[in-house]
Amino acid sequence: MAEVILKDIKKIYPYVEKKTKNNKKGEPEKKHNLQITDKGVVAVQNFNLEIKDGEFIVLVGPSGCGKSTTLRMVAGLEDITEGELIIDGKVVNSIEPKDRDIAMVFQSYALYPHMTVYQNMAYSLKIKHTPKDVIDQKVREAARILNIEEYLDRKPRSLSGGQRQRVAIGRAIVRNPKVLLMDEPLSNLDAKLRNQMRAEIIKLRKKINTTFIYVTHDQIEAMTLGDRIVIMRDGFIQQIGTPQDVFDYPRNKFVSGFIGSPQMNYFDGKLLIEDGKYVVDVDGYKVTLSEAKQERLTANKIEPQDVCVGIRPDHMVIGKEGLEGMVDVSELMGTNAHLHMTVQNKDTIVIVPIINGYNDYVGKTVKLEFTGNLVHLFSLENDKNLEFINENVYSEVEE
Amino acid sequence: MESNNYQLIDRKADQAAKVKLTIERTLVYIFLVFLTIICLFFFYLLFVNATRSHAEIQSGFTLIPSKHFFENFQKMWNLSGMAPVRKGLRNSFIIASISSVLTTYFSALTAYGVYAYNFKGKKFVETFILLIMMIPSQVSSVGFLEMCNEMHWTNQYWVLIVPGIAAPATFFYMIQHLRATLPLDLVEASRMDGSSEFMTFNRIVLPIMKPALAVQLIFSFVASWNNLYLPTLLITKTELKTLPTMLALLRSADFANMDNGLIYMVIFISIFPVMLVYLFLSRAIIKGVTSGSVKG
Amino acid sequence: MDNIKSIRKVESNDTEPKKRIQKGVSYAKWGYIFIIPFFLVYLAFTLYPQIKTFIFSFQKYFESGLNVFGPKWNNFGNYVALFTKSENGVVMIVKAFTNTMIMWLMGAVFQFLISLVLAVFFTSSRLRLKATGFFKAVFYMPNLIMASAFAFLFYALFNTVGPINQLAQMMGWADKPIDFISTYPWSTRTLVATMNFILWFGNTTILLMAGIMGIDESLFESARMDGASSNRVFFDITLPLLKPILVYVLITSLIGGLQMYDVPYLLTKGGGEPNFSTMTIVMLLNKYLSANNYGMAGAVAVVLFVITGGLSFLVFRMIRRKDD
Repeated sequence: MAEVILKDIKKIYPYVEKKTKNNKKGEPEKKHNLQITDKGVVAVQNFNLEIKDGEFIVLVGPSGCGKSTTLRMVAGLEDITEGELIIDGKVVNSIEPKDRDIAMVFQSYALYPHMTVYQNMAYSLKIKHTPKDVIDQKVREAARILNIEEYLDRKPRSLSGGQRQRVAIGRAIVRNPKVLLMDEPLSNLDAKLRNQMRAEIIKLRKKINTTFIYVTHDQIEAMTLGDRIVIMRDGFIQQIGTPQDVFDYPRNKFVSGFIGSPQMNYFDGKLLIEDGKYVVDVDGYKVTLSEAKQERLTANKIEPQDVCVGIRPDHMVIGKEGLEGMVDVSELMGTNAHLHMTVQNKDTIVIVPIINGYNDYVGKTVKLEFTGNLVHLFSLENDKNLEFINENVYSEVEE
Repeated sequence: MESNNYQLIDRKADQAAKVKLTIERTLVYIFLVFLTIICLFFFYLLFVNATRSHAEIQSGFTLIPSKHFFENFQKMWNLSGMAPVRKGLRNSFIIASISSVLTTYFSALTAYGVYAYNFKGKKFVETFILLIMMIPSQVSSVGFLEMCNEMHWTNQYWVLIVPGIAAPATFFYMIQHLRATLPLDLVEASRMDGSSEFMTFNRIVLPIMKPALAVQLIFSFVASWNNLYLPTLLITKTELKTLPTMLALLRSADFANMDNGLIYMVIFISIFPVMLVYLFLSRAIIKGVTSGSVKG
Repeated sequence: MDNIKSIRKVESNDTEPKKRIQKGVSYAKWGYIFIIPFFLVYLAFTLYPQIKTFIFSFQKYFESGLNVFGPKWNNFGNYVALFTKSENGVVMIVKAFTNTMIMWLMGAVFQFLISLVLAVFFTSSRLRLKATGFFKAVFYMPNLIMASAFAFLFYALFNTVGPINQLAQMMGWADKPIDFISTYPWSTRTLVATMNFILWFGNTTILLMAGIMGIDESLFESARMDGASSNRVFFDITLPLLKPILVYVLITSLIGGLQMYDVPYLLTKGGGEPNFSTMTIVMLLNKYLSANNYGMAGAVAVVLFVITGGLSFLVFRMIRRKDD
């Protein structure tokens, strides 16, 4: 167990390829919006995070957001361009990975192909000159926890993906590392196995007492595993918070869209003040905001303005009045149906429960209702959530 | 969010690790520079001495170039008798250019034939070529020399050029490259467009193989340019000899009595053309040493 | 040289779509047409001469002046002659083989040690060296240089009146010229080995580098996180996983070494001086060939063939067994 502090971490990848080289074949110019300076591409910047002892932190974001880079800087596999990384009160920027007492589960598992499962798991202990009987006991213990006892004498090549995954985790936990890093550990598994292993990781976490840093691009993994989630984009932290906090109070439009599935819907609307209360108006459908939201908006001295109104698909219902929209497609999901509709000329998804038989909405125009406690208002200027416009990414909502 | 015990943070170990890595890195650079000097020292001496006159060379050691470079060059250019170097340059150039083009083209053709078509014995053909790659060329040289003597083929360039059509190592490189870069669908698409098989190879496949062709063109040119063994045996007429053969002849003469500046210049001019090409294409050449080989 | 230019993938993976369903027109004949030139040339200018070489090795067949003796069957006469002590009391072919191996080994030990170290340095994500492109380019450069010219240069530099002796006297390291080339066997052999080292270590470095880069990078990272020092990563991970390629590069280098010719030939005027201590197998072969003694040359060539073939076979079998 250890406390990990990342302070003003910055990572710049110096240029290697010249720009003119590959451009003539009409390849896409660039895939990301990372900041580019004279020194190179800035992969991560302004990264501040204090991870408590035994906490499970998930770094999540789309590809190229800098989450893996951050993890690899903690591991010691990437240089830290600026800032300080502190583990257990010691700066470790230049300390080699071998001296950091951190274990890592790689996306490709990285099992040593020429060693048996047993040797793979015992390797780190052997290096530390651990007595043979202790090694044996620890390896067998880890193998028992992970249900891989019968494969100990096999080579990784003869194992299935799920088994390799377990070995990779086993290898990481035998040595009781201060910090356990996981770099998209489930992304090479099929959907069923992935769900199963996700549950296993939750169980494992209760059995072993260590600090976890977990990287994924999958928001469901992030929501289910993390004590706190760090959402990143283009090298910047977008928000840090508990799963619930991130879901209920997204600090900006990106976070609101990234967390939650299906994605949040956005409408053009107006924020008005009527009778001293904030009211949101979408195409003439007016909803008074909840008390908590009123307070936060008042505290931020928000002026009436045009806004982007965000509402999650399961926070709208079909009613007698409200936003008008045409249902294009209806997807039956069993207990509910996803209606794909056109509202304000944009695609919108609404989840409706199926209670008394299925109502066929396709082709019909319906009205969508929503309540004042579940709307999110984003500034058109900078995509920030108007309720939290003056706060930084680290603050949490007190309830 | 300031850590409450941020003042107590320990930076000593981190500093020590930083210093250790810097020292290690410096030692590695020193080692690399040392090897660089070993690689370049002898060539620098060659250059220096190629700029000095015979008298200067005999007067002692120096690392400072003199000003007799063009004088030596002229002497080399006008050299006649046993080793007319100018003719040697020309002869070597002719042989190396033609044989490298043939080697490259026919290796690509053969590799494409084996890669793109399904015929009986296809697997065998590939294994066979792999096996013969290991046989030293000197084994066939005995029979080959006898054959050339019997048929009066000595002193003819084609006997040095034509055998290059069957180059197992180049074939192997080409087929690896094809596997990595040419999808067979492309060949079929071209067929659907009504292209004949030869046209497909020349118009579609060859352009795709350009990088591999360029690299192998260079390698086979250099191999032929540098070749000493067979040309010594097969070319006996002085004015037809290649550069390496002439070097061997010069070496057999009494060195002490020859113009040393001139000798250094001859060595210099033998190495120079390849160095010049390398100066511009080193990246591609180094990539070519391995690309498409270790990682299929 | 050609053999070593391209490293063969040891484990061949059959990516080619073997079971393509051929409907309608068969294009198989084009396969044959495209490989015909290669095989015609191979048959005429390589295989046929090779067979001739084998036949000559069992025949008395040489030219002397304008007279041709033979070919006349001689059974194993040439081989017996080859393995008989000559007037100076040595078996020339054994001597040539020993010389070749000694000089190859002297260079190869350093060539492989240093190339391995360099390959590890260049691929190290810990050291993150700069200017590796420059160093690689410099180290590889000698490989393209005409070996005979390089050897002539060494002769010019190291002979009794050459710059190296001048430097030695100037610096007071020696009071009279040292004959590096034709007096002391080990000095001449060292020169040959040094040249071979300079000519080949860059090539080996690049091949081994490619081998290391072919190994999944995360294995090295994983080992570092497991607590392994650079040395342990090298011995526990790099070396075992690089082994097939290392063995392959080693064996091609050995086969290339057996054919050593240009460097000792030019350095010693073809004589293998001093006292035949640098005479290689191919130099011996060349000696018989320049005298148009096809019978004896054939016998030497067959010996070379058998050694090379045996070595290739042995090592490839070894690789295969290790793979299982």
